[in-house]
Amino acid sequence: MTGRLASATTATAYQREWFARMRDDVTAGAPLALVNADAPQEIFRAMDIPYVVNQWWASIVAAKRQTQRYLGLLRERGYPDYVEQYSATSLASAFEDDPGQAPWGGLPKPSIVLGETTGDASRKIFDVWDAQPGVTYYPLESAAEDSVPERWWELMPHRWEEAIGSDRLDLLTGELTGLIRFLEQTTGRVFSETRFREVLDLVNEQQEWNRRTRDLIAAARPCPIAVTDGIPSVMVPQWHRGTEWARDAARAFHDEVRDRIDAGVAVCPDEGLRLMWVGRGLWFDLEFYQRFQRSHGAVFVWSMYLAIAADGYLRYGDDPLRALAARFAAFSDQLYTPPWSAEWYVKEARHHGVDGVVHLVSDDARGSYFTTRALRAAGIPVLELHADNVDARTGDGLDARMSAWLDELTRPSGKDS
Amino acid sequence: MSAPAELPAVGYVGADVPVELITAAGLLPLRLAGKPGGDRTLGDRYLGRGVDPVARSILTRILTADYGPLEAIVVSRDCEASLRLFYALRELHRVEPELRLPPVHLVDILHLPHHTTTRYVHAKVAQLREWLGRWRPIGDDDLAAAITAHDTLRRSLARVAALRRANRVSGTRFLALVAATTALPVAEATALVDRVLAADSPEIDGVRLFLTGSSHDDPTVYETVERNGFLIMGEDHDWGELLFARTCAAPTELALAERYQYNGPSAPRASIRQRAAHTAAAARACDAEVLLSYARIHDDAPPWDFPDQRAATGLRAVLAERQPYGELTEDALAALLPAGAAA
Repeated sequence: MTGRLASATTATAYQREWFARMRDDVTAGAPLALVNADAPQEIFRAMDIPYVVNQWWASIVAAKRQTQRYLGLLRERGYPDYVEQYSATSLASAFEDDPGQAPWGGLPKPSIVLGETTGDASRKIFDVWDAQPGVTYYPLESAAEDSVPERWWELMPHRWEEAIGSDRLDLLTGELTGLIRFLEQTTGRVFSETRFREVLDLVNEQQEWNRRTRDLIAAARPCPIAVTDGIPSVMVPQWHRGTEWARDAARAFHDEVRDRIDAGVAVCPDEGLRLMWVGRGLWFDLEFYQRFQRSHGAVFVWSMYLAIAADGYLRYGDDPLRALAARFAAFSDQLYTPPWSAEWYVKEARHHGVDGVVHLVSDDARGSYFTTRALRAAGIPVLELHADNVDARTGDGLDARMSAWLDELTRPSGKDS
Repeated sequence: MSAPAELPAVGYVGADVPVELITAAGLLPLRLAGKPGGDRTLGDRYLGRGVDPVARSILTRILTADYGPLEAIVVSRDCEASLRLFYALRELHRVEPELRLPPVHLVDILHLPHHTTTRYVHAKVAQLREWLGRWRPIGDDDLAAAITAHDTLRRSLARVAALRRANRVSGTRFLALVAATTALPVAEATALVDRVLAADSPEIDGVRLFLTGSSHDDPTVYETVERNGFLIMGEDHDWGELLFARTCAAPTELALAERYQYNGPSAPRASIRQRAAHTAAAARACDAEVLLSYARIHDDAPPWDFPDQRAATGLRAVLAERQPYGELTEDALAALLPAGAAA
């Protein structure tokens, strides 16, 4: 009963089948988009243009232990292998020199890449994509606000204009209008607003299911699922959001979690410490998340993937394109920019009743000091682990630090420290 | 004309801050520089050590009042590190009010070459104008006068850049002059530059080098390069020629917004293609013999630009990667010297 979630294995199998079908379609001449995780994919969905999510592909490459080989392909071409490895991995796929080793048969060459000009290197990575024959990069601005209301999760579903500000929404809405025209012209595919509204409705339905699932897990004692099962159960459908399959998969995930709770299933029968994982998934060592169940009764009950699905996507409103802009104009701020990020992690930590937080801090993470500070100020112990989530070269000593911290937490006075 | 000490100073971070608005509000725009080798403890704590050390140094200096009294701080989005610096200052205001930091404002100048971006940038410029109005409301005439004054300074600096290309001003001296203009009232800055233009400068000699990559708010790297037989004839960072390369098309708020949107192309904000084209043209304009790309540690953009810059210039080119703040390592210098010997 504590085996893998059926929703996780189903999702993973679906993703493999979808990827194989997509490869066939692209080989037959269909356009393919490569999009950043926080880009407005719903437009592609509405126009039936298949897309691969940049960071999802990087996670597959990392799980297949191919990241170092791929980063080497960048280095051979004079590009740095030590900057934003998570975003750069897919680019390296364009330089694949050994298709036999490529995960899932390799990433087909996209015809369009879409991403915000976040950071100093991300847009350069897309520039290199743009220089490949047959590939066009459509850049979106990454705008920032001078002042913001704190409790964004209460505002976003309906009062997003207030949360994000009209300037940023005007900007992204204008850019998306241009994107639609660009796709109409370059692919010959049709953008139907009727279809687009259906897609947005399906996305909101899906995220409402995720919200219910998040709340079930937050309230459940003991924790009914492994966080590593929860990630594919929520994220594979997330990459397919706007489809009936994804909406139904989110519902199936919810129902399975509910059934497990009703049956009293525990992912760790000796659950002693409830932990929260703040940061990206540690794709090069997914076993990390279970390693401390046996030794310390420590269970990861939270990762951002389900929680941000629950709080970060819902957008209702009469103007569909502006509502979509509202989903993404400040998406990464929800996770990485204080005060939004810091206050949200505290809210989630309390909601899930965690005993401690493990905070993965990579070089390119934003606002990590303030996240840790806010959690500690709320009385929640925090362990910061400094590593890159796909680059195993940076991961020495994580187990030892984790064990030492858990030893402290499990001492009689540990939780008060 | 007021002396610098008589004007309240507004510290600003990054060349994307429209200094004209600060001048027009009757304040002194004081560009905040880092200090290589200085203490960065507080900056490291609040920003993390994965952020460009310049931003960590500036934050530390702000928190230790190392710039003297600041009326306010305006931060631009000239690079990711500056944005993170802004977020840290904003959050410190919220959670550690006992620090009594000056008011801080973000001016989010963006750079994609699209009309959608122009409208956004115009809104941000207008908001900064309104925010600065708490010190002195900025009328259209005030703004026009400030734009004209700063453009005059830019034209004077461009004449010094021409002197440099004629071997009359070293890169080190040029860098120091540009930096000096960012800490003076604009009229005094222009007078300072004009005095340099009027002086009789002897001809100097060296291997003609074009510097690309990271910005330099400190002269040490310039001094090291020029001490070893090179002359830095031009650069494409915003403590150098990129600071003044573009003037306003008109003395209006909209033209000011467009000036800042299209200024550059800086490494953190421009495309690889734009950078390569600009570097090639600028290196050609100063008859460069060698291209050096200096990439400071955690300044992530320059290494991505380098392969195309090398190809576009066709020059002997050296990339000095992951350099410590304010230093050129011995290894990097050793890689550069043969390029000079071959020139």
